[in-house]
Amino acid sequence: MINRVSSYLKTETSIAPLVIFRIAFGALLFLSTLRFVLKGWISTMYLQPKMFFPFYGFEWVKPLAPTGMYIVFILMLLASLGILFGFLYRYATLLFFLLFTYIELIDKTNYLNHYYFVSLVSFICIFIPAGNAFSLDVYLFKREEQQTAPRFYETLLKTQMFLVYFFAGLAKVNTDWLLNAQPLKIWLPAFSHFPVIGRWMEDDWVAYFFCWFGCIYDLLIGFFLFNPRTVKWAYVFVILFHIATALFFNIGMFPYIMITITLIFFPAGFHENCLSAIKQRMGYFTCKTTRLPSTTVNKTVFILFLLFFSVQIALPFRYLLYPGKLFWTEQGYRFSWRVMLMEKTGTAFFFVQDKKSGREIEVDNKKYLTYMQEKQMAMQPDMLVDYAKFLKTEFQKKGIADPKVRAQVYVTLNGSPSKLFINDTVDLSLQSNSFLKHKSWILPF
Amino acid sequence: MRLYKLADYLKFTSAMKVNRILFILLLSSLIAISCKRNKSKSPEPEPEPFDKAGLLTNLADNLILPAYQDFLKATDTVITYYNAFKSNPSVNGLQQLKSKLNTAYTKYQAVSLFEFGPAEQEIVRMNFNVFPTDTVQIKSNIATGNYNLSAVSNLDAKGFPALDYLLYGLNQQEQSIVQGFINSSNQKNYVSDLLNEMRSKTASIVNTWNTSYRTTFINSLSTDVGSSIGFLVNQLNFELDYLKNAKIGIPLGKKSLDVPLPEKCEAYYGKQSLTYALETLKIIESVYLGRGLNGTDGKGFDDYLDHLKVNSANGTLNDAVKAQFSAARTRLSAINGVLASEIIANPATVNAAYTELVKLLVLLKTDMPSHLGVIITYQDGDGD
Repeated sequence: MINRVSSYLKTETSIAPLVIFRIAFGALLFLSTLRFVLKGWISTMYLQPKMFFPFYGFEWVKPLAPTGMYIVFILMLLASLGILFGFLYRYATLLFFLLFTYIELIDKTNYLNHYYFVSLVSFICIFIPAGNAFSLDVYLFKREEQQTAPRFYETLLKTQMFLVYFFAGLAKVNTDWLLNAQPLKIWLPAFSHFPVIGRWMEDDWVAYFFCWFGCIYDLLIGFFLFNPRTVKWAYVFVILFHIATALFFNIGMFPYIMITITLIFFPAGFHENCLSAIKQRMGYFTCKTTRLPSTTVNKTVFILFLLFFSVQIALPFRYLLYPGKLFWTEQGYRFSWRVMLMEKTGTAFFFVQDKKSGREIEVDNKKYLTYMQEKQMAMQPDMLVDYAKFLKTEFQKKGIADPKVRAQVYVTLNGSPSKLFINDTVDLSLQSNSFLKHKSWILPF
Repeated sequence: MRLYKLADYLKFTSAMKVNRILFILLLSSLIAISCKRNKSKSPEPEPEPFDKAGLLTNLADNLILPAYQDFLKATDTVITYYNAFKSNPSVNGLQQLKSKLNTAYTKYQAVSLFEFGPAEQEIVRMNFNVFPTDTVQIKSNIATGNYNLSAVSNLDAKGFPALDYLLYGLNQQEQSIVQGFINSSNQKNYVSDLLNEMRSKTASIVNTWNTSYRTTFINSLSTDVGSSIGFLVNQLNFELDYLKNAKIGIPLGKKSLDVPLPEKCEAYYGKQSLTYALETLKIIESVYLGRGLNGTDGKGFDDYLDHLKVNSANGTLNDAVKAQFSAARTRLSAINGVLASEIIANPATVNAAYTELVKLLVLLKTDMPSHLGVIITYQDGDGD
């Protein structure tokens, strides 16, 4: 078995799928980064906030001064072009991965599974030889063009895609989604003004249909993509599914990224045809046609990715270590491909108490947080703790030597009436965000 | 580009059985669920989706536009009375003027909420009603006669709070106020400038609503950022938060370790804080209920929530919201006298009103938007 897997992974196949992937992914990274910059999000997400919500264990990741943040994005744009054109490919991918991940680690307010996905894929990119053919590296440095690569590399990308879909599907196997059609039953009626389909958007069957279809799609699509005989039909579903989500939801570039990257599942012939079509149009011809001995798979790299995927498979299950309803407590929620599962809204009133006099100040959250930060903070327990700790220091500076920070938080989840979320007498500034510790101060759902 | 033959994909070998079964499962679930639709359709005619255009048209024509027109008229009246007073200052003229100002300030409460579209352009709340007003800045502007009302530094030296200060003064005899105007032509001009600024901004808003914005407003049917429903829900909550914090909470001492701050009351000099607070609550409720300025009930968020059959802990969310509006109004009305004195004499009564406003805010800011699918941020999301 191990031998069969190993020989499968070692089999030399055309390098074309990796090259096409590199070009497409590089272009998408460039467009997404450019879009981010043009929307002014550098300022709203990284310059305007007065405080940031770090990830546990990454509190040392801090934003740079404005010029620094702009330089980071300029470097990211350059790196994505490097990936697209295969220029200093290995450095470009490494640089992009590091910078992008750095940006995402600054503030968990902006956490999106899509961003996590981009981080992971750009990490994989560092190791695949996608820059060794039809690239500026080959052209400028007169390197010999690589024709084949071990199947291991495209399997990395395919496995990554498979995991995303499969876990997104697994996450949908829950009563809210399958039995109550939540939160789609809440979200879809907002589209009742759409032409043609609008009149059905308030019907329950539509929400159930979308939920069940989405769940089955996510669970099975990876299998159909992996199978060369079904990949084409599966791809039709991929397009339909992602176009539908792009139409309904505010999810930016993600649908287009998925539609493009899924092409990796197509047989090598397809990519070779694409590549030769592009080459023809550009008048590109390979300088040297000698067949390079292909890149062998390093044992360390193999073990690294074994570990890489094992961690990804384990993370979605870590929620089992905590009591309570996952959607409510969100302990072990992130990094698990849980998308579109919750309509959760909260309102948080924070109070700083002077322990000496027992008197309180009600905090004006708008004074310290951006709109997005306040919205996210008001329903995520670890962010409540981060904010409380920030307030403690802030009010110590204002002369309250020994402050207690408590909060009255009301949350609604998937249509449930809003109710008190946490124990409103607990001093949040003394609580820990350690994943080893259950947040016992969260009230039961 | 050579494409793979379709037949290759349709031809299943025996090894492909599992895949074929899975595929058929996927397709049949598609079909099965689509069939359900026909079943649910047959017994009775399908209910119509909620008429969002109707809600927006009702609010535009019966509440927003009339409120602006009323306010513009009231402002014109203040200007007429002020011009008379300016040319011949008298105690009698001052009393009439103050009464007209009070009317305009009250009518202002009914438009403050609609800070989107043309009103957002004019930054109405910041230009019309920043309190407490900066009396030092006002005096200095008048003394020098040299000021630029559009400057940021003058935001708290103009609008209603500045007029409130100049026409009432802090415990000043009316005669001495009148004398102040007689003695200072700079002061006379300052008040004219303040009134004219408000008048021209309001006229421009009314004009934009009439000429183009009404159409834009009633045709924006999504719940995205920048949609009319998004604006209304957002501003409704902003106004309620403003009522809870700026108008009641801050004077009560909620931000100052329970030390009351009477001078932070709205209309501190004219002592109309409570009237205006109640008026603000009334307009928030009107938007929610779709109640016109003349009191006629039309399509509002109450109907929207009922249409979507949204429930709360006991009964419908709409019933809970309506009950909470009523509780807040009762508690606010229970504060007798002047707010600036009551926060010191009877803080518990004021605090009771504050508590009810908090409960109302939770319902309108948490439960309502959550059910309407209102998106308030421009950032991407993945639904978590």
